[in-house]
This record gives sequence, C-alpha cells and structure tokens, in this order.
Amino acid sequence: MEVHRFEKIWTAAALLLIVGFISTIVYGAVGPGVTMVEDDGGTTDQADVSAALADELDWSQVENFEAPTPKAQHVSGDKYEAYVVTKQFAFQPGTGQPLRVPAGSTVTLYVTSPDVLHGFEMVGTNVNLIIMPGQISEITVEFDEPGTYSMVCSEYCGAAHHVMEGRVEVVPQSQFDSTEG
Amino acid sequence: MATNETTFADQFPKSARLTRLSFGVAFTALAIGGLFGLIQALHRTDIYRVLPSPDYYTLLTGHGVLLALVFTTFFIAGLFSWGISNSLDRDLPGDWISWSWWIMMTVGTVMAALAIIGALIPQIPMQADVLFTFYVPLKGHPVFYIGVVLLLVGSWVAGYDWFRTFWSWRKDNRGERIPLQTFMVLITMLMWYLSTMGVAAEVLIFVLPWSLGLVSQIDPLITRTLFWFFGHPVVYFWLLPAYLAWYTVLPKLSGGRLFSDPLARVVFVLFLLLSTPVGYHHQYIDPGISEGFKFVAMTNTMFLLLPSFLTAFTVVASIEHGARQRGGKGYLSWLRSLPWDEPAFTGMALAGLLFAAGGFSGMVNAGMNLNYLVHNTLWVPGHFHLTVGTAAALTFMAVSYWLVPQLTGKKLRLRAFALIQPYVWFLGMTLMSNAMHRGGLIGLPRRTAEPEWNLPGGSFSEGIGSLNEIQLQIAVGGILLFTGIVLFLAVMVATWMGRETPTIDVDSTIPPALSGAENSPRILDNYRLWFAIAVVLVVIAYGVPLWDMVADGVFSPGSNPVTP
Amino acid sequence: MSTDADDGTVREIGHDEFDPVGTAALIVVYFIILVVMWVFMYFVEFLGRGPTVVG
Repeated sequence: MEVHRFEKIWTAAALLLIVGFISTIVYGAVGPGVTMVEDDGGTTDQADVSAALADELDWSQVENFEAPTPKAQHVSGDKYEAYVVTKQFAFQPGTGQPLRVPAGSTVTLYVTSPDVLHGFEMVGTNVNLIIMPGQISEITVEFDEPGTYSMVCSEYCGAAHHVMEGRVEVVPQSQFDSTEG
Repeated sequence: MATNETTFADQFPKSARLTRLSFGVAFTALAIGGLFGLIQALHRTDIYRVLPSPDYYTLLTGHGVLLALVFTTFFIAGLFSWGISNSLDRDLPGDWISWSWWIMMTVGTVMAALAIIGALIPQIPMQADVLFTFYVPLKGHPVFYIGVVLLLVGSWVAGYDWFRTFWSWRKDNRGERIPLQTFMVLITMLMWYLSTMGVAAEVLIFVLPWSLGLVSQIDPLITRTLFWFFGHPVVYFWLLPAYLAWYTVLPKLSGGRLFSDPLARVVFVLFLLLSTPVGYHHQYIDPGISEGFKFVAMTNTMFLLLPSFLTAFTVVASIEHGARQRGGKGYLSWLRSLPWDEPAFTGMALAGLLFAAGGFSGMVNAGMNLNYLVHNTLWVPGHFHLTVGTAAALTFMAVSYWLVPQLTGKKLRLRAFALIQPYVWFLGMTLMSNAMHRGGLIGLPRRTAEPEWNLPGGSFSEGIGSLNEIQLQIAVGGILLFTGIVLFLAVMVATWMGRETPTIDVDSTIPPALSGAENSPRILDNYRLWFAIAVVLVVIAYGVPLWDMVADGVFSPGSNPVTP
Repeated sequence: MSTDADDGTVREIGHDEFDPVGTAALIVVYFIILVVMWVFMYFVEFLGRGPTVVG
C-alpha cells in the first residue's frame, strides 16, 4: 500500500506519543502510586442502607458497611477509616457535621448511596468518585497538612443536586483526639 | 426543479427527498436544543435566569437529547443517504422500507421530546429529567425510553436501506472497489450496529420494563456499563460523518484532491475495530469494576488516537494540495491562498482546527488516573463542545451550505450570514470552551444548575483565571454560539423557501484522489472480516466483566426507581 | 468568491510532484503542543495537587 514517507514518519511519531501517554499513566500508578477505585469495597443492599439511615435497621445488618460518623475511626498507627453516605441531597457526614480526619493520617474511605448515583468530589484535589447504590467505593487517601476541603456532588442526582455540598476537615492530631467522636 | 443544470435532486429524487426531510428534523432539533443551551449558559453563570433551578435539568436533558441524539442522527441519516447515492450513482429505493425509518425516527423523537418537555408543562403528565445518559436509578416516563428505542431502531433500518442499495450496485459492479463515500457509510453503520447492542440491551431488557413496573429492581452497574458500551462509540458515529465530509468534500472545496484514499479506508477500519471496546474509560471512577479492565480500556483508547492523528495529516495535506494549486507557497503562507470567503470551506477548516484542541482534552479524559482530575468537572463539556459541538456540528452546518442547494435546486441565500457564521461559531466556542476547561481545573462541576458558590470550606480556588471571568466567558461564548445557530438557520430557511434559480452556483464534482483506491489492498474492502474482528475485540474487553456483573444476579444488587 | 465552477486553481499538481511540507510543519507544531500540554497536565496540574487516591 502506498503511503507517503512524511505520513509514515508521522505514524511512527504518533505511535511514540501514544506509548508515551500510556507510560506516563503507568508511572503515575507505580511511582506516586495513584490507584483506581475498584470492586474491593464489595456490594450491599441499598434498601438496608436506607433503612439504617432512618433508624429502622441496625447498621450491623448492613453488609460490608458501618454507621457513618463525623469523626474518622482509628484502626492502628496512622491508619483510620471513615464511612460516608451520599444521599439526596447531602453528604453524611459532611453536610451537617463535617467529616474530620487527623493531619498526617492515611484514611480508607467507604462510600455508598441509599438512593441514586452521586458524585463524591473533594474540590481542588484528586479525590473524585462515582457513588453507586448497591456498590461500596473503597479508597485510601493520605491527608498530610491540616486544612478544610469542600465536597460537591459531581453526578446529577435530582432536582436539588446543586445544593449538595459538604466539608472535610483535616485537623491537627491533638485537636482530633480531643474532640467528641 | 427550474434550474438549467442537473442537480442531485434531479438525478436522485428519492434520496434527495429523504435527505431533505432528515435535515428538516435535524435543523428543528438544532433550533430548540440550541435555545435550551443559551438559557443554560445564562442560568448557571447566574447572569440571567428565566426558570427556577430544578427546571435546569429538564432543559439540560432536552439540550443533550435534541442535539447529541436527534440533530446528529437525523443529519447523519441525510448525509449518508446523499453519500450513498452520490458515490454509487444510484437512487435509494424510496419504498415503504425507506420511509419507515424516517417515520420511526421522527415518531420516536416526538415521543421522547414530549416526555422531556412534560416536566415544564403541567398538562403533560410525563417527565424525563434524567439527562441524555438516563442513569438508573433515576427514572423517566416510559414514553421517553420508547421514543429512544424507536429512534434507534429507525437508524438500524436506515442502515439496511444503504446496505441494500450497495448490494444491488455490487451485483452490477463485481470486482470494483467500493466507492469511498459508500465504504465510509457502511463501515460507520457496522460500528453503529455493534455499539447500539449495548444501549438496546440496557433499555429493552432492563430500563423499559423497570420503568413500566414490570420489574421492581435493576442493577445500576450493569445498566451504566451497557450504556457506556454504546456511549463511547456513539461519539464516533458523530465524528465519522464529519470525517466523511473532511476526506471527500473538503479537499475539493480547498481547490485540491484527497491526499490518500487508501489511508482514509485504513482509518475507518481502525474505528470499526477500536471504537467499542473502550467504554470503561467513561467509568474509570466507578466502583464495581476492577483496575485491570479499566487499564485495558485505557490502552485501547490511546491506540484509538491513531486513526484521528492519521486523519489530521491526510486532511491537512489535501487542503494544502488545494492551496498550492491555488498558487500558495512557503511553509505556512499557503494557508492564505485558501478560500476563506467560502462558507462551506471555512466552516470545515475551523471545525478541524478546534477539533485539534478538543482531541487533546480527550487525551486527558482517557488518561485513567489522570481522569481523577477532570471527571464530571466543567472540563468535560469543554471537551465535547469542541468535538461533537464543533468538529461534528460546525462541519454539518458547513456541508449544508454546499449540499442544500444541490438538494433543493435553489441557490444559497443570505450568503453574507453564511460567510460570517463559521467565524462567529469559532469565536464563541473558543471563549466558552476554554473557560469551561479552566473552570473544570478549579473544580467547577458539570451538569449542575448552580455550582455551589458558597462552599463552607471556601470557594473554588482561583487557578488559571478567576471565577467571575470564567463565568463571563461562558455566557458570552454561549450567546455567540446561539447567534451562530440563528445565522445558520436563517440561511437554511431563506434558501429552502427561496425561489428556484437558473443556477445553484455549486460545483458538485469531486475530483479523484491523488492516491486512489487502486493503491490499497483489496482486503480493506472486506467489511465482513473487519466486523468479525471488531466483535472479537468487544468480547475480549467486555465478556468477562459483564459476566461478573450478571453472575451475582441479573437484577442485583438492585435499586428501585427514583423520580427526579 | 462564488461557489461556481471557477475554483481559483492556477496550476495542476499531480501525485508525484506533491510533498506536503506545509502539513509537516503544522503537524510538528501540533506534536510539540501536545507533548508540552500533556506534561503540564499530568505533572503540574494532576500530580502537583493532593490529596490523591493511593489505594
């Protein structure tokens, strides 16, 4: 097949560029260790989550999930975990009371929805998830410096989608330990 | 027709009729969808509001469906009907089968549109505030989903109309290479058949029965996955017709010839093979899908850049050929020798230029972990307004300036409007899209009536630009784009309604390519082979993950409907 | 300029006489822009901001 030599050179350059893009992405996964959210959070029954939120069911009956609390729970060392529910039209915790994590911690977040799809996006960061009823999104994030992050719902969830917002507060360890959980 | 010359409409009246009627629906959808877009742009920037914020989502659904599903599909149906007859030198049968596709598509459109608009009109007891992607568990009225199905099935029958015309040509032309425009239509439709399997399964097996109450719960993960099985290739369904115009019409408008017919064929085959097994790149941040499948989708997507990179070279080389035949010289000054005062040329050339930018933001979207940065932010509409909104839409408008006179036997009217329209679009899109990209980087979400200005933790940080300046550019850009639509529609209406003229002032002849089909291996025309390979690639990419999703229960973990 | 048969051609250039040097120049510029923008987006905008999902 006849291909002009300029176009042959361009094809080679384009393939090089494509491989370059793929390599950068692999580097991001291997070097800084950026990980995609997967299926290891497991599944749950969204009706159970909904019932537990309404105090009609005990959280221990909800598969793969625990009661959401504003203060992250200590696991060991600098590891913490937090359970968050995204629902129409609030983050719990987040909207009423902010989610609190200590500075210098590694937090595993478990997020699910009792109703429709939501987004869990910490504005200005790379923490950005789709939350799906029936699925639990499990991610681990390192929070180094104290500060406050805003959360917005980034996936259309109904007529009041635009008011759905919340807060994540990264507080110094001593302040974290002394507050009520 | 009263012209002294023989136009396409004279030679192929049935094809011309179907094309005109398809364009008619397309342009109507463009008008309404475009108006919604203007209202949205002014609403979410808080500059001028005519509706309460919950109604924003009704308009947004209308904007997406009317522009990205109706305007596109109908225009493409018209363009492909023209392309088949033009390249095969043969009219479409124009029998009840031909008419059935147009009728099905139109009835489906009206049903879906009524269901959407119903949210704003108390007398219509329907709503479909579910957006163009209609993600479950949000539920619209069943009439919406039935409308979408009819639009889809109609498009399948249209494809059959083109295939059977090709087969009848084939009987009289054994051994001939498939004419390029027909080749492009057939390959695009094969990709369409393969990809629409996903959304057809989603709607017919899951969403429609669920919306009718026949099944109480369906799994959002399966339905979303089936949607994106279709949702990525649909963008190539929009793009490949634009490529058809760029490869076969734009060189002629530039005063030159297509640089390489063989490469055009290779590009289309690559799209057939790779467009569908990439859908997971829309689900990088979804739960329930392992990183391995996301990685495979990422690599497939990155290689899918290749046919577009090749297109850039071949199309620009063809334009350059035209410029040099018009006397152009030097490394860059040949650009000045091009017919910038010819609306059809200018529209397509500017569409291609903006597409080069939109391609880049698509590369970012495709970048798996990089997607965390931009997913569901305003960056994403910034991207797709450059691609479907310009590469496709502006090209469609540009090609109409050249084609509609040939379809109606009437000269182009309001030429001055046609002349400035592409430049107005270019300016409006540059302003709106660049602001949307920057807005996304400072964290502004998409698909929201009011980005939450008063965030408790602080507002959107200023990045490359401030919030106010970004909002202003989006509003001004949106106004300019709507002006562009008005200009275009004015030209179309004036031309269509105008008197017939002795001449239509359009040279419809397309010169042969510099390197013709005879320089390419015959196997390229073996569309059955390419389709088979495409199916295998899809099974590899989707077989295991879809099986996993179904294995834990076809309808579970399930969700009940939620009315938005 | 009209859209009729007079398309402004002043000379014919055949297959063997045509080397798309202008296209080559433009595509090199585009290539460079892509590389620079990608590096900026990935290493400055993306990796340069945190927190990030690392597990």
